[in-house]
Amino acid sequence: MSTPSGFDELIHPSTRLSVVALLAATEWADFSFIRDSLSLSDSALSKQLHTLEEAGYLEIHKEGGGRKRRTKVRLTSRGRTAFDGHVAALRAIVEGAGPTTGATPATESAAATTSGTQHQQQRAEAGR
Amino acid sequence: MSTPVDAERAWQDLQRIRVPQERVYDEIERSAQSDLGSTYFTAAVMWVFLAVTGLDLPTWAFWLVLTAYFAVLGSVAVIYNRRSRIRLHRSRHSWRSFATFVAGMAVTLVTILVSGFVANQLALPFGSLIQATASTGAFLLFVGPANRWAVSALRDRGARVGHQAVS
Repeated sequence: MSTPSGFDELIHPSTRLSVVALLAATEWADFSFIRDSLSLSDSALSKQLHTLEEAGYLEIHKEGGGRKRRTKVRLTSRGRTAFDGHVAALRAIVEGAGPTTGATPATESAAATTSGTQHQQQRAEAGR
Repeated sequence: MSTPVDAERAWQDLQRIRVPQERVYDEIERSAQSDLGSTYFTAAVMWVFLAVTGLDLPTWAFWLVLTAYFAVLGSVAVIYNRRSRIRLHRSRHSWRSFATFVAGMAVTLVTILVSGFVANQLALPFGSLIQATASTGAFLLFVGPANRWAVSALRDRGARVGHQAVS
């Protein structure tokens, strides 16, 4: 299966996607806020942040010292562009699948009997 | 090697993106509602400034008080900035944020001028105290509802920006 242009393998894993999505809405975010919002451990988040930092997708600034030390994380313009491209690629996949696809056969049958229209509404909301 | 992604997985990823972004707006709304301390402190500093400038101060003392006033306001802004855990991206701000800032200044300035004018015209005793109290009261009455009004539009604005970025 081919993937549309803009699809970013680095952002694609769910944890990294959540981190980048959160940062995309902010100028910067505190490390603790990201950790608490995504229910991650310090080490798990730190690992993902360093992977994204090495790719040039975000910048990490440490401020202060001692107990007041805090870490601010900021998405770079490169990271923001990559995120926008990735979201565009995801939307292209969903829209390219047509009105009746976008669900596995199992979920399609369930949707047909229970909430076919609800599924479409949710998908429309996701596009807003 | 590219990861094959079907429409269902792509749709789930689009849903997944919304969740952390909602947390950002939750934090913005929580900060706006719970940060009454800085508002009251700003109002108290404004009251002191207006009450002091109502005295017949020499020019150098007026400028000293004005400098001190702005220094304290700057310090409040720095402390508030240090306490906040996030800053919303500039593309997610709505015109309401700017309008609230301008309207807040306008309301406060007009109240200062009008209350000063009325106090002078009626030759009220303790005119500067009346002016300071009226202006601070107007500031406090305005800032709460105005902030709520500005913040309430951010979530919808964010959803629209997210949509435009990918369409």
